[in-house]
Amino acid sequence: MSLTDTGANASVSVDKGAFRSGPAGLSLFGRRLWARLSAVLLGLSFPAALLALWWVGAARGWLPPQILPSPALVWQTFTELWADGSLAEHTAVSIRRVAVGFAAGAGLGLIFGALCGLFPGFRAYAYPPVQAIARVNVLAWMPLLALFVGIDEPLKYVVIAWSASIPVIIGTVRGIAETPERLNELGEVFGFRPQDRLRLIVLPSALPSIFTGLREGLANAWQTLVLAELFASFEGLGYLMTWGRQLFQLDLVLISMVVVSLLGLSLDTVLKWLERRAQPWNAGGRNG
Amino acid sequence: MTIPALRLNRLSKSFTVDGAPVEVLSDIDLTVAPGEFITIVGASGCGKSTLLRLILGLDRDFEGTLEIDGQPVKGPGLDRSIVFQEHRLLPWLTAERNVAAALLRSGLSRADKDRTVREHLDLVGLGDFAQAYPAQLSGGMSQRVAIARALVNRPRFLLLDEPLGALDALTRLRLQDELKRIVAHEKATAILVTHDVDEAVYLGHRIVVLHPRPGRIAEVVEVPAAARADRSSPEFVTLRDHVLAQLGVQTPARGKVAA
Ligand SMILES: Nc1ncnc2c1ncn2[C@@H]1O[C@H](COP(=O)(O)OP(=O)(O)O)[C@@H](O)[C@H]1O
Ligand SMILES: [Mg+2]
Repeated sequence: MSLTDTGANASVSVDKGAFRSGPAGLSLFGRRLWARLSAVLLGLSFPAALLALWWVGAARGWLPPQILPSPALVWQTFTELWADGSLAEHTAVSIRRVAVGFAAGAGLGLIFGALCGLFPGFRAYAYPPVQAIARVNVLAWMPLLALFVGIDEPLKYVVIAWSASIPVIIGTVRGIAETPERLNELGEVFGFRPQDRLRLIVLPSALPSIFTGLREGLANAWQTLVLAELFASFEGLGYLMTWGRQLFQLDLVLISMVVVSLLGLSLDTVLKWLERRAQPWNAGGRNG
Repeated sequence: MTIPALRLNRLSKSFTVDGAPVEVLSDIDLTVAPGEFITIVGASGCGKSTLLRLILGLDRDFEGTLEIDGQPVKGPGLDRSIVFQEHRLLPWLTAERNVAAALLRSGLSRADKDRTVREHLDLVGLGDFAQAYPAQLSGGMSQRVAIARALVNRPRFLLLDEPLGALDALTRLRLQDELKRIVAHEKATAILVTHDVDEAVYLGHRIVVLHPRPGRIAEVVEVPAAARADRSSPEFVTLRDHVLAQLGVQTPARGKVAA
């Protein structure tokens, strides 16, 4: 067996999906491209169908325009909001809130989760309250939190950080706790010190679970952002939604929704990419 | 009589299954001299892997005596290394770094580590795969990396749990010769578990035959030098047939038997 031999094997196994669905006779690169393309097309087909339905529905007047504005109107509003810079402003405010909140929540969640995962004593004492708190949606705590931090920016940062941290904590604790015993034994056989075990066994084995927590935390952060802005804000995409609803400008609501979901999706994609980069040993690794 | 390198006396081991103790190893007596190559054969489930885990010090819950150089075994140590039955490579390290992991606490200089890792990968025929991750290697190749990893810190005790089982026949024969040569050359003490009676005869100075439920020693057979030296010698064939008979395999009076 030679190196190129396994290299080819690895990429074939990675590309099984493409191999099955792609037209015959394409090169490896062609097949990969086809696989990407067909996945994207498949993903777009449902939104496209909805869009078509909306278009037809608006044109035929199935619903009054106050309830469902036509695509043309939404587009027009979008270009206006874009031109006067207000969409960008609201988006920037929301992104800043999510960025600060998520960074704080994920950072603290990682630290707290790692402490719980690595020190059973600490876990026994500190983890159960967190699990209990996690069952109550953070928004229910908002009135109480508002007493402590007021209703300005800090409140938004705190609730977003809070909601983002919960899955990060749970994912980190679980990832560390589920380190395979056979690998821990290997560390014993090699005489690893705790720091060696952490670096070479515990952390890499916990990575998938930690990343799952981070991605869920990011999704939580967006959801909480919108809700927090609905209740207590005068700027941001969530505020734009409330405002649109109050004025019966459903076009505003729709535009904000689309921006929120596109941003959420793109950030999730970034995290997925990071996850792959952080684990080059998966899916064929360097040769793949 | 030299001081035994390893002494097992009335060693017994039970697991608790569904609340009740199940005896897996019963009254194992075995004394191993320094430099000796012991092979262990026995049906699957008769406690061979469990025995190696005890010697390694991973499992301290047993009855009886287990001593190395006259000292009770209290835990794993760098004097003993193992090839587990499954290769147990770290999926996130390249072949080279998997082997190097065994040297992390060895105190060698960086350059010495790099050199000896290279040598051992070459030894198992995987010099070209130093940068490959375990997911990119076949089962047999992974097992060879695990062998390199067990050899790399030149342990006094080499514990081998069916290390060559996943390999193709030619590689297996070659690595049998290598193992024999290395153990002799390093003056290591080796304990190798195998399903392959030919392998047990070819490698072992003595063969320990285990009977199952609970695992116990049926017989310890000395391997004559002539049998160990030549797979087609009459001594080899006779001994193999004897061990097979001990394991309950009928062999025709003459001729080939699949091991
Ligand atoms: N951790 C464990 N808990 C309970 N039973 C076990 C455990 N490990 C091994 N056993 C049992 O002990 C017996 C011997 O196992 P093992 O040493 O792996 O056998 P072998 O290596 O000879 O095939 C088997 O019946 C197995 O089911
Ligand atoms: Mg076994």
